[in-house]
Amino acid sequence: MSNLTYHLRAEDVNVWFGERHVLKNVNLAFPTNQVTALIGPSGCGKSTFIRTLNRMHELIPSAGFAGKVLLDDEDIYGDGIDPVKVRLNVGMVFQKPNPFPTMSIQENVLSGLKLSGRKNANNEELVETSLRRASIWNEVKDRLNDPALSLSGGQQQRLCIARSLAMGPKVLLMDEPCSALDPGSTRRVEETILELAPEMTIVIVTHNMQQAQRVADQTAFFLSEDGNPGHVVEFGATEQVFEQPIDPRTNDYVNGHFG
Amino acid sequence: MEKVTDLTPVARPKTAAPWSRKSPQFVLYASLASIVPAAVALGTIALTGMDFMAALFIVFLPLQIVAAALVGITVYGRRGILEGLLVVATIFLSSFVFVLLGSVIWSVISNGFSALSASFIFQNNYYIQPKTSLEFGGVGHSILGSLLIVGLSTIVTVPLGLATAVYLTETQGKSKGIIRTLLQAMSGLPSVVSGLFIYAMFIASGITTYAGWTGSLALIPLMLPTVARVTEEALRLVPVELRNGALALGAPAWRAFVQVTLPAAKSGIVTAILLGVARVIGETAPLVLTTFAADRTNLNPFEGAMGSLPTYLFNYIAFGFDESIQRAWGAALVILILVAILFISARVASRTRTKARK
Repeated sequence: MSNLTYHLRAEDVNVWFGERHVLKNVNLAFPTNQVTALIGPSGCGKSTFIRTLNRMHELIPSAGFAGKVLLDDEDIYGDGIDPVKVRLNVGMVFQKPNPFPTMSIQENVLSGLKLSGRKNANNEELVETSLRRASIWNEVKDRLNDPALSLSGGQQQRLCIARSLAMGPKVLLMDEPCSALDPGSTRRVEETILELAPEMTIVIVTHNMQQAQRVADQTAFFLSEDGNPGHVVEFGATEQVFEQPIDPRTNDYVNGHFG
Repeated sequence: MEKVTDLTPVARPKTAAPWSRKSPQFVLYASLASIVPAAVALGTIALTGMDFMAALFIVFLPLQIVAAALVGITVYGRRGILEGLLVVATIFLSSFVFVLLGSVIWSVISNGFSALSASFIFQNNYYIQPKTSLEFGGVGHSILGSLLIVGLSTIVTVPLGLATAVYLTETQGKSKGIIRTLLQAMSGLPSVVSGLFIYAMFIASGITTYAGWTGSLALIPLMLPTVARVTEEALRLVPVELRNGALALGAPAWRAFVQVTLPAAKSGIVTAILLGVARVIGETAPLVLTTFAADRTNLNPFEGAMGSLPTYLFNYIAFGFDESIQRAWGAALVILILVAILFISARVASRTRTKARK
């Protein structure tokens, strides 16, 4: 474990929505090019936490934040850091597939470039590599100009992954990416995650214990008890968290006693 | 021993759901019960010369109620009385509304059609007297005037309305409540007041004489609330996931709006503009006070009186001669056709090119 480097580190992250303290002193380090799963019952703050990693939680007007998030040793909450620039390096995939309905499949893949005002020399190549990395190329290569909504839900989600990959992010955040998908599509997305893992740092929120065990190298267990703010109860290698949890609450959760 | 199950499907009883289709027999009886009493009442008036109100209360209402109850009893038994009454009342009242609406449109078409001709649509009204035969002169200048005046208002109102809607939906502005209240108040503004205000401010004060742009100005406050509120609804309907998706890709807020939210709300925004245009294209009072009326074609909205279809109609119905009333009906029909053309072409133009999944 000692030779691991950390792409992304959260230090003493605290979040408030208005007066309500929802996350307290979260310290997590995400090893470079590994998959980290965030698990925990609904309302424990894991979705809020993943949003602090690319400053998406700031879209909620009442949100307050304290702490540091270090991306390659630079605090993304530091003075003069533009959240828009942060999001260029930290991609995000959402719970519900959200391809842009007015664009074709190809335009969706390139939408990030257009939206951030970037230019790229070889769009065709970028479309192909992004779709290949999201393992959807073979299904759509003959109909790149079809509307994105003509795809099935699972294909739409992989298209959204391809859309994030086209921006070349160092970190990919996934907020329950499979919760709206059927088991077959879920498997395809998980395979995609495993293929991407060697080249990028992935953080995934999931409600599905088996999914965490299948894809994640480390797992963090979040909990918010009796109205107290959410915090990390246990963080470690996935095997250890699931098979020999240190904290009894983790044991109860991963064995289905609550949540 | 193996148990044999009967797999013949059982038809779902027709009465299983309150929204189940009524049987054709019931619909036929109910329709008869809605129409026959009205016909009998009208017949009684024609034959006996009975007073209309008397016929309504003595002949029509009792007949209608009894007929409706009978229909209910024959089809559903005693518990069907209320059902029969409600269905008959629904059929009768809704056909009454359709007849009213249809008769308005029909009277415009039947009276206005004979006035329509190439010369009526393309010529202006210069040298035409109220009693001149319909072979000469027409509403060409008024069509152009209406399009210019309303077009100018639209050019100003659409960006204003869009900006208002964006402020209400996309920003965290503090004055949202006030803006919404103002919009509501504005949509209750009587059009003649708007015209009078512009008249007093620009024409009575001597700043300008009658001119097209004053008319456009008077129409803006009438159009703005419709455009802003309908656009606001359209923007609100764009799922928040799409905005978040765009922002998560590293888009600045304005690019996310222009490239994702706006295209997704396109057809709603076109509807907003259409409703705004429809709201003002028939406005007469503000135009009578500001653009006045003209018989000559005037293509300069910044100088001189300008004709428009509603003011043309207003003037010619006021002359009171057969020919002039004929011209007024013609103008009414032209307004109807113009609105229909605008609506259909805007709908076709805004049809989204993306198709939903098969």
